[in-house]
Amino acid sequence: MKRLLLFALLALAVALPLFAHHSFAAEFDDQKPIKMTGTIVRVEWQNPHIWFYLDIKNPDGTTTTWGFAGGAPGQLMRRGIMKDRLKIGETVVVEGFRAKDGSNNGSGGRLTFPDGRMVLTAGSQDRVPPQSTLSKP
Amino acid sequence: MKPLALFFALALASVHAQTPSPAIPRTADGKPDFSGIYQWPTYLPGDERGHSNATTFDRKNFAPLKPNGETFLEPRTGDARHDEPRDFCMPAGFPGGILSGNAMQFFQTKNYLVMVHEFQRMTRIIPLDGRPHREGLEPMYYGDPVGHWDGDTLVIETTNFKRWALDDYYYTNPKEFRMHSDAFRTVEKLRWKSKTALYYEISIDDPKIFARPWSQEFEIVAKPEWETAGLYEYVCEENNRCPGGKCESK
Repeated sequence: MKRLLLFALLALAVALPLFAHHSFAAEFDDQKPIKMTGTIVRVEWQNPHIWFYLDIKNPDGTTTTWGFAGGAPGQLMRRGIMKDRLKIGETVVVEGFRAKDGSNNGSGGRLTFPDGRMVLTAGSQDRVPPQSTLSKP
Repeated sequence: MKPLALFFALALASVHAQTPSPAIPRTADGKPDFSGIYQWPTYLPGDERGHSNATTFDRKNFAPLKPNGETFLEPRTGDARHDEPRDFCMPAGFPGGILSGNAMQFFQTKNYLVMVHEFQRMTRIIPLDGRPHREGLEPMYYGDPVGHWDGDTLVIETTNFKRWALDDYYYTNPKEFRMHSDAFRTVEKLRWKSKTALYYEISIDDPKIFARPWSQEFEIVAKPEWETAGLYEYVCEENNRCPGGKCESK
């Protein structure tokens, strides 16, 4: 428990100085926070940002695929988040901000997995909605 | 007994004066050795950035602006290619690039220090052999650096920059961004401050903008635990999906 607490504090310390990345300020609207639940259907583990895609159910029962940008692969891997942490078919909660062009895209700064673990998927300069604790990947 | 004690004290002082401190890594010729893998330069404790329009370079550290120095406050126009060319994978430049939140690795030989930053794979090759700046080159995003030793401090002077963003991506003022001029030059000071961290200072000298040079201090923490993985590849053009706020469909 102590270790978990320490990790949470460390993760928070990493998360605190988060401000807009080049892409973030130019690409995402920090006045439009989003929190959505969906199933991972694709992961692009590429620079300058990872992108992951979720199938998200609409109120009318249809499904829309949304894309979310995270940090650079290197930034995530040094945080212990490897590509296989994002599993196709897994249902996750993503928190971030909508794309400026109003398309079905957004920043994916934080992910919560089915087991309740929450990880920071943002780049080190991306803006992330306020959070309390993060878990070990 | 007293003369003996004095002798030992003098001998010890003499050894201390002649022998470089063994506490820091050194090259075969006795220079401080900066080879290794590091975190990006971070603020000194107690000097963290604020929470709005945060920037690498704290306004309170600025020297006074010269008359007409305000030209370095470049109004944002709404055209993303003007407002944030880095969003289209243009170079971050120096010093913006080195302050990006990624790992970096330094390689040092007798005549060179090579700094490789994971972000955009920015590479700086810094001659240490006393040669002058190169002449006749076009101005550059990363400038032309040369280094020399001042005791255990490496002093890096960089000139011949093209006009480009002074700040890194932390500077998000929606109305303007800050550019250095083509008269920009930097002086960096790098030395070991402990067994696990470097002292790093960047002095900004831009005689078209500032009345005098000014500097900001950072810390660079060694990350030997990152050696195994090393630096990761970073090709910005690979999947830059929403440049300028217009997402390409997938």
